[in-house]
Amino acid sequence: MTTINLSQPLDTTVRPDNYLTHTSGFMSWAFTLDHKRIGVMYMVSVLLSFFVGGVFALLVRTELLTPGQTIPGVTADVYNHFFTLHGAIMVFLVIIPSIPAALGNFIMPIMLGAKDVAFPRLNLFSYYLWVFGALFTVCSLLLGGFDTGWTFYTPYSTTTPAGGVIAALTGVFILGFSSIFTGLNFVVTVHKLRPPGMTWFRMPLFLWAIYATAIIQVLATPVLGITLLLLIVERAFNIGIFDPSMGGDPVLFQHFFWFYSHPAVYIMILPAMGIISELISVHAHRHIFGYKFIALSSIAIAIFSFLVWGHHMFISGQSPLLNTLFSLISFSVAIPSAVKVFNWMSTLYKGNIVLNTPMLYALSFLVLFTIGGLTGIHLATLNTDVHLHDTYFVVEHFHYVMMGSALIGMIGGLHHWWPKMTGRMYNETLGRVACVIVFIGFNVTFFTQFFLGSQGMPRRYYDYLPEYQIYHVISTIGSYIMALGFLLTAYYLMASLFGGRRAPANPWGGGSLEWQCSSPPPFDNFAKQPRVGDCYNFSAIRWDEKEQGYVVDPALQASVNPNLAAKNSH
Amino acid sequence: MNIASTIISNLLAGDPLEGRTIWLPPPDSNLAANSDLMFWWINAVCYFFFFGILIALVWLVASYRMKKDRPFRTDGPLHHLPLETTWAVVPLFIVIFIFYFGFRDYLNFMTPPKNSYEISVTAQKWGWLFKYPNGATSDDLYVPTGRPVKLSMRSTDVLHSCFIPDFRVKKDLVPGRYSYLWFQTDKVTPEGWGHNLFCSEYCGTGHSNMNRKVYALAQPEFDDWLTAQSQWLDKIPDEELYFRAGPKLYARCQQCHSLDGTKGIGPSWKDLWPRINGGENGKFVDGTSYQSQIGAGKQYPTPEDYIRASILNPGEHVVSGYGNAMPSFKGQLNDKGIDAIIGFIKHMDEFDTKGKYLKEPAPLPKVSMK
Repeated sequence: MTTINLSQPLDTTVRPDNYLTHTSGFMSWAFTLDHKRIGVMYMVSVLLSFFVGGVFALLVRTELLTPGQTIPGVTADVYNHFFTLHGAIMVFLVIIPSIPAALGNFIMPIMLGAKDVAFPRLNLFSYYLWVFGALFTVCSLLLGGFDTGWTFYTPYSTTTPAGGVIAALTGVFILGFSSIFTGLNFVVTVHKLRPPGMTWFRMPLFLWAIYATAIIQVLATPVLGITLLLLIVERAFNIGIFDPSMGGDPVLFQHFFWFYSHPAVYIMILPAMGIISELISVHAHRHIFGYKFIALSSIAIAIFSFLVWGHHMFISGQSPLLNTLFSLISFSVAIPSAVKVFNWMSTLYKGNIVLNTPMLYALSFLVLFTIGGLTGIHLATLNTDVHLHDTYFVVEHFHYVMMGSALIGMIGGLHHWWPKMTGRMYNETLGRVACVIVFIGFNVTFFTQFFLGSQGMPRRYYDYLPEYQIYHVISTIGSYIMALGFLLTAYYLMASLFGGRRAPANPWGGGSLEWQCSSPPPFDNFAKQPRVGDCYNFSAIRWDEKEQGYVVDPALQASVNPNLAAKNSH
Repeated sequence: MNIASTIISNLLAGDPLEGRTIWLPPPDSNLAANSDLMFWWINAVCYFFFFGILIALVWLVASYRMKKDRPFRTDGPLHHLPLETTWAVVPLFIVIFIFYFGFRDYLNFMTPPKNSYEISVTAQKWGWLFKYPNGATSDDLYVPTGRPVKLSMRSTDVLHSCFIPDFRVKKDLVPGRYSYLWFQTDKVTPEGWGHNLFCSEYCGTGHSNMNRKVYALAQPEFDDWLTAQSQWLDKIPDEELYFRAGPKLYARCQQCHSLDGTKGIGPSWKDLWPRINGGENGKFVDGTSYQSQIGAGKQYPTPEDYIRASILNPGEHVVSGYGNAMPSFKGQLNDKGIDAIIGFIKHMDEFDTKGKYLKEPAPLPKVSMK
């Protein structure tokens, strides 16, 4: 694992030259090959998309305050566009690229002690593909939007009169390639650019997670690409592939779609799990518990992710035999997930926990992921899924996993690495307050909807029966609370850029390599390739008043954990 | 008197929401009991793990906060193979149990009994048509109690899904395929109430209004209803057709066609007759006008022919400003039904904007049990 070269004190003087000031001007950003700048550009783009997707979410929630029309002018058709855009933006433009492409791009090469990713030009190309994909989505709005749901189920998607469907499909197709290239880049980077001494089992767990994610991106996304292309062909040229009136099969589309989109769920959650491993270990200042089990469970999840897509189709007319197999395999995902949760909790045991913002996000993740994971049992079980499928229960289950876990993990990671990325500290008090507000708002919004779903309220409904209204009202209030929390977060993060305290190299006491270079990192990350130790060994790290950050103190070496000493000796 | 009789009949019929909890609607089919039992067991497992994890987290955070001005404690274990294996294997056994019971009841759900009473279901944007063995049709679903009922379902356009929450059953309707759904309910639906039936697979504009009611009747009442339902149209004399059958049939059209001039998914029926009968300025999407298409020697010799064609083959001439959204009602309306609709449109001024007949207050004979 990375880090802490005890013989060589940390380079703590803030070097005047960092990646932000190395060159300047618009072109120096637009054509940069620096992974850090590309990471920052991704981050800004993803956060902007998150804002837009969030506005659509609030519109959807507000519209659902009353049965029938609530917002003047929002008809059933407009509402259908709203929830489609919310889903498509959040999935394809926000969550999928958020952790790997934004945070991963910035942190991964530094964690490896490398100067950049393996293919810097390909990296920039991925970013521009993302931008083109996003532009196509915007274009589709100008052409009349799309109301297909983010799942594009046929034959509705090939017959809907909405004018922007092909543009949106093209956008997602391009975004898919952005994702494939990022994945490819990261696989090669992890394989080829690990520094001497960093064996596979010495990598920070974030890298394991990013690596497992990259494998899924490379293997699964092409299937989405070809599926969308077939859909475009069918819609544009009336060639029957999925539409039964032209001899196609709509269930085939569902198989193709979920063959990508189920693994895509793990493209979202795996890197968040990687972040949580870092957050919990660093902010509890405690060696991660059960490193190998956590690392291998990422790989196990990546493998299982390819074998469970059919659980989206238990009532679609798929054969009972397939349903049975898919149900059985789906349950197997519970095992690596349980291993991770229990190992993270054990990491807190006998730790040195600091309840700062990233740690609060990590704890929120643990609670929300537990709820999201456990409610997955209801849905993987065949007979209860018959009742719950396509109701709000499903909506809440995946919001707990995709938002409560993947996005909360991303925001936790953003806070964790914010001082490194920007060189500034944010207001810690506001950070904690905002995290608590988001946590409360999230649960008010989404836990309520479990009751809605199990009582039979189907999803994607514009109008509903009056008996469901009370839950919708509570849920909408929750979404406003959550929005408040995110606005507060946006405020103090922006404020930190202008008035925040300068960040030390190691504000949290982390052991991995990114905490060894200054904040923000210099253009070339490290003057010379750093030596690598155990990145989860915190025994020689102490707080330094003068530095206002953590430093490595060789004098502490004597008190090294006997367990660690034994481990490191072989 | 009225209130008293309502209360008494409610008492006799029982509370329709009996057995309902904050999690689940009333369990009113043979499949609901096992499904709910499974649901509660899984909930119990979830509560156990969730509260266990929550309490452990609170305890851990409370116990192991960082001590200021002291070196980090480093005495925590790095790994513990027996413990880690335990929490990998224990969940495995739990989920295998859950899988097995879910699987067992699912097989039951997937296998309709041989002696089932079969009802054919057709879904299209955005309505349901239930067709019974004697040829009767209905918009709401009527089922006999005490025997298995099998729905043989198909869709004529896009995906739909038939979902009856109180029965815990759901199945997609896939165009180009038949799918089955079965259940048995032993509880007669109380008067003035019905189980919800939802479309739960997104199908566009009218998706959320594709909900209907399910009424379970005891076999004798069901048989009476069935006979009446199959004959109600035939019993109405031709001259009374438009006001007796028209409004009832219009219920299937109202999703798209208003009577007050509001533009819906399809054109409003307000003043439709004057428009197509010698009409002014109406246009079709192909650019031709009403006048050039309707009239002696033209495609539709009479306005009646035009309406009939629009019901049976709606895509032939789509009115300008609207999409080709209407499904064909071929096989769903017989000649008498079409006559009723034509008459209804002709005499639009005799109805209010909800389709209520204004002239005679309540001349309609009782044709349905509900």
